[in-house]
Amino acid sequence: MPLAALACSFVMSAQADPLPADATYRSLPTMPFSDVKRMDEAAKPMVLQRQRDLLNARYDLSNRPIPGVMMSGGRRAVQGGVRVKLPSGMTWEKLAGMTPEEVRERGLLPEGFKPLPHVKQVTGGQVFPENQIDVIARMEQRDLRRFDVDFDLPDHFTPEFPAPIFLTTRPELGDVSRGQVLTIRNFYEIMNGLLTPVQMEGLRLLLTPFPQEEFNQTEDRKVAQQSLGVSCLDCHTNFHSNAAFHLTPDLRPQSVRFRLDTTSLRGMFNQQIHGSKRSLRSVEDFSEFEQRTAYFNGDHVSATRKGPNLPDRTNQVAMMAQMQNIINFPPAPKLDWRGRLIATKATAQELAGEKVFFGKGQCAQCHVAQTSFLDNNMHDLQLERFYRPGETRNDLVLQPDGPIKTFTLRGIKDSPPYLHDGRLPTLADTVEFFNLVLGLKLSAQEKDALVAYLLVL
Amino acid sequence: MRTIAKTLGRAALLSLLCTGAAHAQFGNPGGMLPDTAEARPGLPAPGQANVQDRLFIKLLGMGNAGEMEAGRLADARASNQAVKAFARKMVEDHGAAARKLSAAARPLDVVVPLEPDPDQKAARARLEALEGQAFDVAYLDAQLVDHQKAVTLLEWVISNGQDAGIQAFAKETLFQVQGHLLHVQALRADVMPNGPEGATVGQKR
Repeated sequence: MPLAALACSFVMSAQADPLPADATYRSLPTMPFSDVKRMDEAAKPMVLQRQRDLLNARYDLSNRPIPGVMMSGGRRAVQGGVRVKLPSGMTWEKLAGMTPEEVRERGLLPEGFKPLPHVKQVTGGQVFPENQIDVIARMEQRDLRRFDVDFDLPDHFTPEFPAPIFLTTRPELGDVSRGQVLTIRNFYEIMNGLLTPVQMEGLRLLLTPFPQEEFNQTEDRKVAQQSLGVSCLDCHTNFHSNAAFHLTPDLRPQSVRFRLDTTSLRGMFNQQIHGSKRSLRSVEDFSEFEQRTAYFNGDHVSATRKGPNLPDRTNQVAMMAQMQNIINFPPAPKLDWRGRLIATKATAQELAGEKVFFGKGQCAQCHVAQTSFLDNNMHDLQLERFYRPGETRNDLVLQPDGPIKTFTLRGIKDSPPYLHDGRLPTLADTVEFFNLVLGLKLSAQEKDALVAYLLVL
Repeated sequence: MRTIAKTLGRAALLSLLCTGAAHAQFGNPGGMLPDTAEARPGLPAPGQANVQDRLFIKLLGMGNAGEMEAGRLADARASNQAVKAFARKMVEDHGAAARKLSAAARPLDVVVPLEPDPDQKAARARLEALEGQAFDVAYLDAQLVDHQKAVTLLEWVISNGQDAGIQAFAKETLFQVQGHLLHVQALRADVMPNGPEGATVGQKR
């Protein structure tokens, strides 16, 4: 009898209505473009203010660089200190002394440790920092400014601009960027003689704009004029990151899509899985598929309407991969060939930090020195042990992140903000984060030593 | 925001975040109806339900009714005391949600359905034929799917809805419904013979 009932229920439940179609698929616009633009522009100051309020509640965003520490191109200082704000009356030591259940029960997880919302979650999409918008406007007369949102983080919490470029193929040359942002206008002059024809073609494609969800020629766009679109290096400026962000393409509905900080493309040659959650197995796969994801939110249906770029696997994709695979990490003169500190070159504090990294800190479990400080794996830190998911912040529903790819730590001082969504402004914040989440109970000296060590990777 | 965060407790802050919004969520105007009136430039005036708000009211109205009926049945019929207690909580919580939904829908002139949808009625008919542990298992299986769908539906309207009252209702209700989902997952692990271990994401609420 029960078996028959179960069989019956299996057949019957297949006839329930599915959830609304636009939980997965993008609707076509119903409002004329000129009204959309007018409304977006009018709402923009309020949208930006709401995000500013959230950021200020979470973080101390003042400009406080670490004395004497610059990013690899020497163009920007590295910010120091813990910036995530604690709940009233709490200290990091007290927090670290509590169990995850207690932190969750009492609602004491700092807001800055929770997922960071997009400036305008409901719309989402790629948002470029001012420096990138300016350069592309000047050099290509292509507009990367959105009329509905602006970039939200202060400059000093983003990578130096432009970032230096180090080639694995020409290590003797050092930074080959000439202090310029690579664009479709200057790449040939800068790179001819350094690259092979295959790499040059790959670079050309990486600098060519293609239609994107918010930057395209239809009425469903967030740029004033019909746009040629966006190029790969518009976010990955000089094969690094300019901290442009958007939303993960891998989730629906829209309100649960977490924010994604642009990753650096340095060191792709050693990375075997790509994408924070997608686990694409080669940079060829990623280059080919990114049109469907960063560009079009995992929505090939919308892409088909707006102008899909379907790069040829054998020729175009392979060449784009060839170019990406020759981008080196910045020099780390204190590290030997195994990724270990050279004792005669490192300070006592850095050596102490390395000891924590490989010992009490547990960092080396996932950030394996031998393999570029990553492990080609995804891991679930289960931050939801420390807070109750299901709350909303600026229209982002805070859900567990699930497994996320380990990120490299080579050259890490060059790429604030930290974590996949950029929720941690400084390396000191990341140390406090992992101290809590992994239950390490590091002392203040151990934390400082760890930061000193991270700065020389 | 900063001083508020410092001086309020978590629960108070949560209720402020849920109900304090004086306007709809910052939506994408592309998806709005072309005759949407604006309270101030760029923001829809209150009292305007878009298509998604209306569909949400319909689906959640039916969902609440279904939960209450199934809950009353399970309170009477379930063999496991923890399942009975859960069922009673469903009747109570979804009753409260139904009242809040009605309050949110009233200024929008949208009728809230008071009957479950046909597939919930069919599910209930199937449950009525069961008893003992078979009932408990079938009830919890159905509750798992219902609450997964409810969480997703609430997340959907937070993305795609427009009216401020519905937004506030959805954000508050999502937090609660997510608690129900965790509860169901934990109960399934306890109640089912050789049942799933570690079915809950994270911890119990």
